Amino acid sequence: MTTGLYVHLPFCASKCSYCDFYSVPGRLDLVDAYVRALLKEVRQYAGLPFTTLYLGGGTPSLIGPDGLRKLMKGLRRTANVSALQEATLEVNPESASAEFFQAALDNGFGRVSIGVQTMVDTELRSVGRAHTALQGAEAVMRASALGFSSISVDLIAGLPGQNQQSLRRSLDGLLSLHIDHLSLYCLSLEPGTPLADQPPANLPSENKQADMFQMARDMLAAAGFEHYEISNFARSGHQCVHNLNYWRGGDYAGLGASASSHLQGRRYKNLSDLQAYMRRPAAAIESSEELGAGTKAAEEAMLRLRLIQEGLDVGDLAARFGHDRIQCLSDRLSSLARENALIFDGTSYRLHPSRVLTSNPILAAVLEEA
Amino acid sequence: MTNNRRNFCIIAHIDHGKSTLADRILELSGLVGVNGSEQVLDGMELERERGITIKSSPIRIPYRAANGEEYILNLIDTPGHVDFNYEVSRSLRACEGAILLVDATQGVQAQTVANAYRAIDAGLEIIPVINKIDMPAAMIDDCCLQFDDILGIAVDAALTISAKKGTGVPELLEDIITKVPPPQGNQDAPLKSLIFDSQYDPYRGVIMHVRVFSGSIKAGDRIMLKSNGKTYEVEEVGYFGLRLMPCEILAAGEVGYVSAMVRTVADINVGDTIVSPDLPQTEAISGFRRSQPVVFCGLYPTDSNDYVKLRVALEKLQLNDSSIVFEKESSAALGNGFRVGFLGMLHMDITLERLRREYEQELIATLPSVVYKVTTTKGQMLHIDNPSKFPTPQEIEHIEEPMVRAHLMTPTEFVGPCMELAKSKRGIMIAMEHPDQRRTLFTFDFPLAEIIVDFHDRLKSTTKGYASMDYEMAAYHAADLVKVDILINGDPVDALSYVCVRQGAPARGRALIAKLRELIPRQQFRVPLQAAIGGNIVAREDIPAIRKDVLAKCYGGDVTRKRKLLEKQKEGKKRMKMVGSVEVPQEAFFSLLKVDQ
Repeated sequence: MTTGLYVHLPFCASKCSYCDFYSVPGRLDLVDAYVRALLKEVRQYAGLPFTTLYLGGGTPSLIGPDGLRKLMKGLRRTANVSALQEATLEVNPESASAEFFQAALDNGFGRVSIGVQTMVDTELRSVGRAHTALQGAEAVMRASALGFSSISVDLIAGLPGQNQQSLRRSLDGLLSLHIDHLSLYCLSLEPGTPLADQPPANLPSENKQADMFQMARDMLAAAGFEHYEISNFARSGHQCVHNLNYWRGGDYAGLGASASSHLQGRRYKNLSDLQAYMRRPAAAIESSEELGAGTKAAEEAMLRLRLIQEGLDVGDLAARFGHDRIQCLSDRLSSLARENALIFDGTSYRLHPSRVLTSNPILAAVLEEA
Repeated sequence: MTNNRRNFCIIAHIDHGKSTLADRILELSGLVGVNGSEQVLDGMELERERGITIKSSPIRIPYRAANGEEYILNLIDTPGHVDFNYEVSRSLRACEGAILLVDATQGVQAQTVANAYRAIDAGLEIIPVINKIDMPAAMIDDCCLQFDDILGIAVDAALTISAKKGTGVPELLEDIITKVPPPQGNQDAPLKSLIFDSQYDPYRGVIMHVRVFSGSIKAGDRIMLKSNGKTYEVEEVGYFGLRLMPCEILAAGEVGYVSAMVRTVADINVGDTIVSPDLPQTEAISGFRRSQPVVFCGLYPTDSNDYVKLRVALEKLQLNDSSIVFEKESSAALGNGFRVGFLGMLHMDITLERLRREYEQELIATLPSVVYKVTTTKGQMLHIDNPSKFPTPQEIEHIEEPMVRAHLMTPTEFVGPCMELAKSKRGIMIAMEHPDQRRTLFTFDFPLAEIIVDFHDRLKSTTKGYASMDYEMAAYHAADLVKVDILINGDPVDALSYVCVRQGAPARGRALIAKLRELIPRQQFRVPLQAAIGGNIVAREDIPAIRKDVLAKCYGGDVTRKRKLLEKQKEGKKRMKMVGSVEVPQEAFFSLLKVDQ
């Protein structure tokens, strides 16, 4: 059983124009106090043995080597992180110093996820990224030289001014370096972000974006990467265990402002407000919901279908939730398979390969109330 | 006794202050408290919102005149829209006098003219009244001139009032006493009584609103309806207070209600004459006609399981509005629904709105259609109220369409745009008059089909809201029309078929297809949209397949948010109707209304 621990570090140097995750630009002065708050919040999980750890953001690398050491020292003292299978740290190229990487390695992080996004400087600038393509490549090389066991990069399809050729250049560049895992996201205009408010004219169309994604998928397949989740590709043995646990409906605790948790059939989300969180870190819950068995099963089905190779094993689902509880869900799945939206191999349902980029209606149908 | 009665109505253009004046009169009589509920006679929420009276409701007002005598005034409120002109004419018949109310800031409008002529034709004593004199833009002298020039009503000194503030209203009441003649009629003569309206009571059935012209009616009497020969025993008679007030007898000259346990709404027709079954030969009051729906549309539940719910809702609505007719209709595209007939576009709008509000129905309404008379090559004459029922072009000998005669009043500066608009709507100018220097009164004949779609809105926007229009149904006229079929994904969608004039039909088809392309969301596959006339494709556009609809990130495991996003998407789908395998939003079925021509 995997139990994940996610730690949200909302600090960043400046806000990228597409980003709608909770982060606070500047305010590095608050890092120490925030780390203390995280360590207070984690106390409630003292008895829970975590198997994966993920430090995400924001830009976690902004807390620097000292911040990281303090955080990890505290976590080791307070939480049960002695038997981690995987520990991932997100870094941004502009703050991926050798010193920081070394601190990460010293503190048990074997996996880094580097926010490269693209290897074309004009594209980086178009969305306000604080680094250059060269810095991205250097970060990957540095991580590789220092000996991380798994290196992941983030890439975006659909940036302003991007086209198939430029995405191909980015991918060629990254594939020539040592990477084990790649997350490829289609740029989406999230309401309230500067990019959505004033979309630039050179934003690739939906069609072009889809073409880019498909081209990237083919290139990655040829390079030996398995497309294991809608947006994720990995060399054998390098799938992200922490994220797999999300998609398999597993338990995880989230620490920090805006972090989400899923523990014993209940979902929580912390307040997206740094100050409020720091005042009462263990009680800064914005929302929480108890999932009924029917909802839980449907939600798990929706999540597992994102795993496009592994899919959803209905027999396993029935064994855990009961045949009666999943009857309606199971009917919906078989009707989706009749429409060729899903593929059924006698054991598991999987997304039809042609529907990966148009999976929302399928996943919405899976979620339909019983 | 009838010497102390006055039966009158108020006729006015929309928003000229009719309901406000009625409120002031009720307050002055003491029937309701000052500043009590506003617009007592406009009972429906929708009426208040739209500032128009849909369901007229009479009221009896006790009044002590300056001469010390007690009078009884019956105010018969009239519906204020062109769709209800027949109902207005019946209400006018129940009166001896009419207050012709004109907004001093706007002057005489098309509807004022039309209704004033109706009142004059009905032989009513007209009391011209100028309202809203407290407004800075009031043009009292101009209004007086217009009364004379346009309506031929010589006005020495029109009453000037402010219904809002109550100024001049007491004088108006005195004028009603002195100018409107008391009702005539022999109580001992055979019964003759006009039904000028009706309402439905769940316990007592149809309650007829009547004006007795001769004889009398009391509980226990047997009565007969002249139009259909049906007889009933009167259960109760009474007059209209703020509620129904029973009384012993309704005698010649009086206005009141008759309840006779009538269960079948369709048996009671506005304009019918009530006589005594003992004297069935008593002559009917002239001018009766069954109210004839002129605009039809298909109504379908969005969820086909709600068909029965929709039928129940329509039945209930029909109890209070017998002018609505409906029958079952099946559409290949939309499933089971109803063909519903209305008196006009406003009537249709209001009815749809009421269905949506009062009965919480999710509805799809198809494009409205008029009733065409199609003569087939076999010599048959068909009345067709649904374009999808049109015979093939080869089977059609000729087509006639209903016409209206419209009076259109506009400030003279907009004469050009009005004529252009009329021309684009196939209008034929009959007359053009200049009642004063600033305004022009047009008389046009239009095909009804042209003015039910977006004419009124276009007229208002063309003239910055200054023009006004009134119309009445005229004869049928031959026209060169074709049916246009719309195909979605290769299948004709019957609910989107429409009839239009042959010339320009392809252009209109293209415009509609372009509009549909905007309205129908991209699907998982490419969807061709086509317009066809008699099998020939005249327009085509494709909706490209959707390529990207995916939630990419799952940062920090915020699954709840992801689920909510998907659920929101699902909600959107509920407002869609499956046509074949294509999801079509409700508004698409109405989209021709939005096509600029």
